Amino acid sequence: MWGMTSGALTGLGYPIVQHTLDNGLRVISSPDHIAPSVAINIWYDVGSRDEEHGRTGFAHLFEHVMFQGSAHVASGQHIGLLQAAGAVVNATTWFDRTNYFETLPTGGLDLALWLEADRMATLLEALTQENLDNQREVVKEEKRQRYDNVPYGDVMELLNSLTFPPDHPYGHTTIGSMEDLDAATLDDVHSFFRRHYLPNNAVLSIVGDVQPEDAFERADVYFGHLPTGSKPRKPEAQPLEPLSGLPRAEASGQVPAAAAYFTWRLPARGGRDFDALDLALSILGHGQTSRLHKQLVRGSEHAEGTGASAMGLIGGNSFGFSYARARDGVSPEELEQEVVEVIDQLLTDGPTEEELRRAKAQFERHWLHELARVDSRADALGEYATLHGDPNLINSRIAEITAIGDDEVHGALEQWFRPDQRATLIYRQEG
Amino acid sequence: MGEFLPRPAIAPAAVWAFPAPIRARLSNDIELMIFDLPGQHVISAHLVLDVPLNAERRDIEGVATICARTLDEGTLRHNGEEFAELLETEGAGFGVDLSLSGVQLVLDVPASHLDRALELFAEAVTEPSLAGRDVNRHVQLRLAEIEQAQANSAQTASIAFRATVFDETRRAARMSGGQPETVREVTPEEVAAFHHDHFGPAGATLILAGDFTDDPITVAERSLGSWRNVEQRRVMIEEPTPGPRRALLIDRPGSVQADVRFGGFGIDRLDPRWAAISIASYAIGGAFLSRLNAVLREEKGYTYGVRMNFGPLRTGGSFAVQGSFRTDVLVDALAITRDLIKVDDAPFSSQEVDDAVAFFTGVSPLRYATAEGVADQAATQILAGLPDDYVDRSLALLRSVTPEAATEAYRSIVDPDELSLVVVGDAEQLADPLRASGFSDLEIRSPALDQ
Repeated sequence: MWGMTSGALTGLGYPIVQHTLDNGLRVISSPDHIAPSVAINIWYDVGSRDEEHGRTGFAHLFEHVMFQGSAHVASGQHIGLLQAAGAVVNATTWFDRTNYFETLPTGGLDLALWLEADRMATLLEALTQENLDNQREVVKEEKRQRYDNVPYGDVMELLNSLTFPPDHPYGHTTIGSMEDLDAATLDDVHSFFRRHYLPNNAVLSIVGDVQPEDAFERADVYFGHLPTGSKPRKPEAQPLEPLSGLPRAEASGQVPAAAAYFTWRLPARGGRDFDALDLALSILGHGQTSRLHKQLVRGSEHAEGTGASAMGLIGGNSFGFSYARARDGVSPEELEQEVVEVIDQLLTDGPTEEELRRAKAQFERHWLHELARVDSRADALGEYATLHGDPNLINSRIAEITAIGDDEVHGALEQWFRPDQRATLIYRQEG
Repeated sequence: MGEFLPRPAIAPAAVWAFPAPIRARLSNDIELMIFDLPGQHVISAHLVLDVPLNAERRDIEGVATICARTLDEGTLRHNGEEFAELLETEGAGFGVDLSLSGVQLVLDVPASHLDRALELFAEAVTEPSLAGRDVNRHVQLRLAEIEQAQANSAQTASIAFRATVFDETRRAARMSGGQPETVREVTPEEVAAFHHDHFGPAGATLILAGDFTDDPITVAERSLGSWRNVEQRRVMIEEPTPGPRRALLIDRPGSVQADVRFGGFGIDRLDPRWAAISIASYAIGGAFLSRLNAVLREEKGYTYGVRMNFGPLRTGGSFAVQGSFRTDVLVDALAITRDLIKVDDAPFSSQEVDDAVAFFTGVSPLRYATAEGVADQAATQILAGLPDDYVDRSLALLRSVTPEAATEAYRSIVDPDELSLVVVGDAEQLADPLRASGFSDLEIRSPALDQ
């Protein structure tokens, strides 16, 4: 009666069972009885890419409002009740998602589901101007603490705007602007909630000390009566061409070292071309044996730190970046030139067999780590179900990455990583 | 709308215990602790060395950190980059962690690669090249790291707070990685001498946690069992003592927020009041709806979050209220904090105690469900001189704390009128209001003069 599908057990063998409630809520269960704990994670298919013009930062502000109470829960009590049940609780907002999660002793599973269902059903009944204003201030403090009051805190915003057009869903950061946060109204909260916070726009993962039948039954008890809504249209996700025209920006601030940053548009996550570029960026800048570290930190000793990474996104394109921070006496121009040589060399040579093997081995460890905990496994299940429609992919990721050939890496570099396909940000020391 | 279900009750928690290690000894007397954890495919290995940071000579503090960081830059058998390449090809990650009570060298590796990776790990620990060029580079990188920390408001506050709360003659008062003036003096010869004098099997513990494919005792013996150092020197750990109370404002012109540390000298985990103070500090500033966070974040919107933390050392420790507040509300936030941390007229309630016990009890199974979590905790216990069943014992002690005991322990440790204050922020806007609000002895420092 549950209409279960069994996980494809290729590679890793984490059990994965799926069931969709009548109202469209997708429920994923992955039993694991190693500890008497259970992780609950709800991915709503809404992130900063869904924000409207003049409302940057709203998806994240909304996430905060979700903790301000619902019809049967007082403000702040969502976390209060769960912590008193022994839970670790939090939520995150990013370009492609907003997720809410708690991990706690199995005996608190019903409480957790009840709390999540109550806010999915009745958030607006408890919403007040006072609560919105309070969380607006909290979010502004978060922005000050994490971005405005720290060295290089504006880099993410600068890189975003170098890489995507201003009206593009990824053209602004998740934290948004103070001006837009100030402009948010109660009406905005109402319409955002009605549009996005629907059972059929969410994935509920339950991982840990509970059997699938039990998990599905409880999900049905607490969420089954919630009405379906019309699934929101996702923002335009036409893939953009690689960057062209070598966009460039300069910034300065009270920073201890000058720095150079480089970004690329990459293909959307989910394809072999993205995985190939993920490996390429790892070879370029991840860890002590990466090319940038070897050349700039260890070799010429012109940089105090280097890095490169691919940030997988689902809406048409992903985002790749690389950076180096200068040692004393090295100008940003020298630094830039040296990084560019290393980047272009990767395109010319392609990765060596050894480099590719190392990048894959590092991915394997990272991925096994990710799945080792019930809470991060629940998150990964929600991620792959929401963005790719298939949570079973978590079991095959290592096999997929291992299968990427050096010709594919080279081909992807040729298409997305040519010398005229990047943007540059130079960050200078002020004063 | 819809059907309303009453709030569900919480079913009693299942019995849980911290995993018990299998203990063994390698032929060179390294103590071995094995945690067999089915399903944990990444093995976590921690080699805990009995090298307290006060083993460093005062004028070259930071030498232990530079030594540890240079270990994987090449060995006598595998030079330079080749070593790191071999280790990364095994899918392994190598890390170091230095605290006042000892040095940890950490390896994470998929179980099927443990044998080869542990062999390489042992090479790095026992016969590193510590080449002059690599040491000198790590000295420069450490100096750059200090500059980055000094540019960061929160880190500046933490560094200044430890220099305040501990007596200045003690190692605990200074950064674990060394201060700029001592790091600059670290030479390749000193690093080699430090390794020679202090790195050795005596007093060392190897912790291995995960789902093993080969017998871990055999693997450990093969990699580390033959390590000898007849000239190894052991150093007794130094006990920190409190510094005098002071109020310090570190000027950071143009800051949009001020970082605050407000606290004093604390206790360690072996103090009979430890369970009671854990519960008290959770109620004051650990829970989301703690006395401090409920008002300063959820009611006032002054901060993204405020906490009270206790940081235990092997003996003694420190505690502080810490948070970051926008400049124009800082003085009000501090005044509210000073009221809220007084418990004379507001002793802890049984609800607060119950909630704290439920929280600490509930999060333990998750925290220790992974190889990394178990190995980290085991290493912490070694460094703090705690028994193998410490987690179970301390949870039992927590459950026996009464509201009266929590209040009494808190009052005996936290005297709101005797706490030291560190604020990092815009002095032009903050100095006068802070003085007027009761910190009449406020000292002001510009960061340039702080070193």
